[in-house]
Amino acid sequence: MPQSNKALRIVAANGEVALIVTLAVVIAVFSGLSEYFFTLRNLTNVLGQASIILLIATGVAVALIGGEVDLSVGSTVAAVAIPLIGIMNATGSLTLGIAGALALGLLIGAVNGYLSAYMRINSLIVTLGTLFLIRGGVYLYTGKRATADTAYLDSFFAIGNGRLFGILPYPAVIAGVVVIAVIWAMRHLRFGRRIYAAGGSAEVARLAGFDVARIKFACFIISALMATLASILLASRLGAAVHTAGDGYEFQAIAAVVLGGVSLAGGVGNILGVVLGVLILAFVSNGLGMINAPTEWQLVITGLVIIAAVALDSLKKRWR
Amino acid sequence: MKATTRRISALAIAVGVTASGAWAQETPKRIGYIVNYATHEWYQNVIKGMEARADELGIEVEVIDANLDIAKQVAAAEDFMARQIDVLVMTPVNEQGVVPIVRRAKADGVPLVIEGNPVPGMQTMVAICDYDTGYSAGVVAGEMLKGEGDDAPRVMNVGLPLLSATILRSQGFMDGIQTIYPEAEMVHDLDGGGNPDRAQEVSSAALAADSDIDVIYGINDSSALGGLQAWRAAGLPEDDLLVVGTGSEGLAFLNEMQTEGPFKIEAAMFPEKIGYTLVDTAVSLFQGEDLPEHVVSPTTAVTFDEVGQFYSYDGTSRQIQWDGINALPVPEACMKYASDL
Amino acid sequence: MASTETHDTPGLFRRVMESEHGFLALVLIVLVVGLGLATDRFLTGSNAVAILHQSSLVLIVAVGMTLLLITAEVDISVGASLAFASCIVMATINATGSIALGALAGVAFGAGIGLINALVTTVLRVNSLIGTIAMMMMLNGGVYLFTREAVQNHHQLPLFPKIATGFIAGIPVPVLIAAVVAAVGWIALSRTRIGRLFLATGANPRATRLSGYSPERFKTVAFVVTGALVGLAAVVLASLLNAGQPTAGQGFELTVIAAVLLGGTSLMGGRGTVLGTILAVLILKVIDNGIILLRWNQDLQIIVPGIVLILALYMDQRKRGHHAG
Repeated sequence: MPQSNKALRIVAANGEVALIVTLAVVIAVFSGLSEYFFTLRNLTNVLGQASIILLIATGVAVALIGGEVDLSVGSTVAAVAIPLIGIMNATGSLTLGIAGALALGLLIGAVNGYLSAYMRINSLIVTLGTLFLIRGGVYLYTGKRATADTAYLDSFFAIGNGRLFGILPYPAVIAGVVVIAVIWAMRHLRFGRRIYAAGGSAEVARLAGFDVARIKFACFIISALMATLASILLASRLGAAVHTAGDGYEFQAIAAVVLGGVSLAGGVGNILGVVLGVLILAFVSNGLGMINAPTEWQLVITGLVIIAAVALDSLKKRWR
Repeated sequence: MKATTRRISALAIAVGVTASGAWAQETPKRIGYIVNYATHEWYQNVIKGMEARADELGIEVEVIDANLDIAKQVAAAEDFMARQIDVLVMTPVNEQGVVPIVRRAKADGVPLVIEGNPVPGMQTMVAICDYDTGYSAGVVAGEMLKGEGDDAPRVMNVGLPLLSATILRSQGFMDGIQTIYPEAEMVHDLDGGGNPDRAQEVSSAALAADSDIDVIYGINDSSALGGLQAWRAAGLPEDDLLVVGTGSEGLAFLNEMQTEGPFKIEAAMFPEKIGYTLVDTAVSLFQGEDLPEHVVSPTTAVTFDEVGQFYSYDGTSRQIQWDGINALPVPEACMKYASDL
Repeated sequence: MASTETHDTPGLFRRVMESEHGFLALVLIVLVVGLGLATDRFLTGSNAVAILHQSSLVLIVAVGMTLLLITAEVDISVGASLAFASCIVMATINATGSIALGALAGVAFGAGIGLINALVTTVLRVNSLIGTIAMMMMLNGGVYLFTREAVQNHHQLPLFPKIATGFIAGIPVPVLIAAVVAAVGWIALSRTRIGRLFLATGANPRATRLSGYSPERFKTVAFVVTGALVGLAAVVLASLLNAGQPTAGQGFELTVIAAVLLGGTSLMGGRGTVLGTILAVLILKVIDNGIILLRWNQDLQIIVPGIVLILALYMDQRKRGHHAG
């Protein structure tokens, strides 16, 4: 079909082939090293585990493509779980709990977006500030204690722990659907193209008549909402709002996003690449665990993979 | 909506039921341990104790480090179950956050031993008694001070209010010292973060405000040493100071106690012994024995002339003296639990 | 463009607010006076010494970070490097019995890490934010490959802990070290030709290149200086704890960067002063100290710097907006 041909060409042109090959090599190597690695159960497990970082990374990627950084996502994961669990415990309603989580997520996104897009304060600083602010707020509010889910809703338990047809974990299904929607929106909606334009050159976008501030504001909302979704899945897997949850996820997400080929300079990148970046790091982490490699090696190898990926990418651009 | 959610939960249960349960009267072959933070000396020594006991019994111990990430801990439990481990042992990063995984292990028929802090719904836990450990150290500290004067001791607590276990230690210490000196007072109640650099920083500020202190109590050795280093950095005299550490987690307290300085008492918790007990408990659980909800691992307050009974130290490594530790009395239950707070 | 208001004589308040360091100095003074009124334990000699003592570690590294940010690069790996270097210092002293060799090894290690960061940034063209995050991960892992436990002062050398806890002429040694580092950094940056070249590099790398200088070389120097200062800070830290601590330094990079930014150094490069950094470090440490003295919830120590940072940038933005308008 011509359409699939076109799709193939887009993939090749964006350098995602290298990522797919890397992923295949990672899976092949660990399959050889551990008999438990290439099993349906383990592969689906990893998809479920990766879905939390996948959602966060997708949001961070949208912001980066729009020319902005969001470092507050890890703290947001911890914060929005508090109204989720609190309201659910009080009312016994999952819907109301999720509504509460989304409301707080929106508020965080709006604060980040207002300060960065409208007050024009550097978003790296704004979100570094809100990273501390939100985490500190969570500690103060909870007294550094986890809030247990005492509503015991089966539906809530299933979101993070159940499996579709008994095979595919629900977090993977939910993240998959959401991320595909984002990929589609970034490619085919006018709004998606405006995000690329605003991130590529705010000046040009402004001259083209776009409301750049509004576009960037929306990027922070998207990023916060993705972190909120991730938080809901994680809270279900943990059965609690854990005050330390999500600590350092901003670094993990940025690593995956950059590995996936999104430029830190804005305007360049592809969410499909981000998906591959997340999966590569998730399978490396899982595989190293499978062969009983200690944490220190996981950290060293992840660091090397990131430097290698980014160096290759920028060197490739220079040679071209 | 209702119908869907019901179907989802039915599925979740079905997944659990179809997984096989391993019940046999033989010893397990593989034990999987998910440690919350393997880079800490304490847990390295827990793992050493597990490996020592597992070697004797011909069992293999596999370790995954959650590295303080609760999500990674849940993922590690999934990984171990996918690897068909015989018994799972876990030190929770957060007690509430592992409730679903406890439920899933039960559904999968994988025996699970918790280390450290109780988790709702768990079968059995191996842990020391935090309150008792602090209490015994408090009593010994009070007795040591009694020879020196009648003034009620003023205590700086380099604590960690983040965890109920460490709150219990500080409470136990104060209650213990108050059996000798009812007027003993906690002058500074600090959050030292459990690590030496933070403890040092917080203690410095507190000592600058009020340095009239007789006793520094640390909820672990890092906290006690951070407090002591802050004392030294403030240029205060060490002659009348008493430092009490907790945990016997690594080499630091052994090194400090050798100098016969102010660090005179250690509330020892013997991590190697915990590892040893964890393996024994895992085997019993695998064989379907009835176990108490809390299997206690012994602790005691050690003064610097008693250290040799429990550890030998050559400057670069320590060797546990199993005879000394296995001779310690093991209480049936603790004086006070987290639920009493 | 100059505004019409320049015809008026600006009031003292506005002059203070608009001068480069007036605002920071004002904040510091308000904090000191406020805390002095709030508790009689604040304005004491021993507390002043404690605050300066606490500030010294951050300040030593922040001077290097100021230089680095001026060249439009950043180093996230300083906290991880600090921990690793403190273990190198202690292990070298244990092996050789020489404090001088230990200190040398720590500084060399830090400078080496700085050099690797520089090469990754300038030769491999990896964005320094990402490159040094990756370096942070590798050092966090690598330190446990080097030692699984805190490295103790095996020889019990009594002189070694004195580096951090000793006094010369009533001033703690680490404060003297930090003061020397800050003074050298201040003079080098604001009074020398090289300093002006650093600022020019960050402001306009293309122009620098056209006038015959390589911006990469300035970036490399800034990375190595930052690394070496991390090594120096590690000597102080190891001495302070009388051990090498693989777990130390968590979040240190954020404190350092927050201080440098609060001090008015631009993330985009080309603008920044050591004096601003000194004031900012003091502000953050006075706040930290005040929270403990007032017995407020210590969780505020995480929140307050975040608010201060955003406020400072907001003020900065308004100030520049005012000048531009």
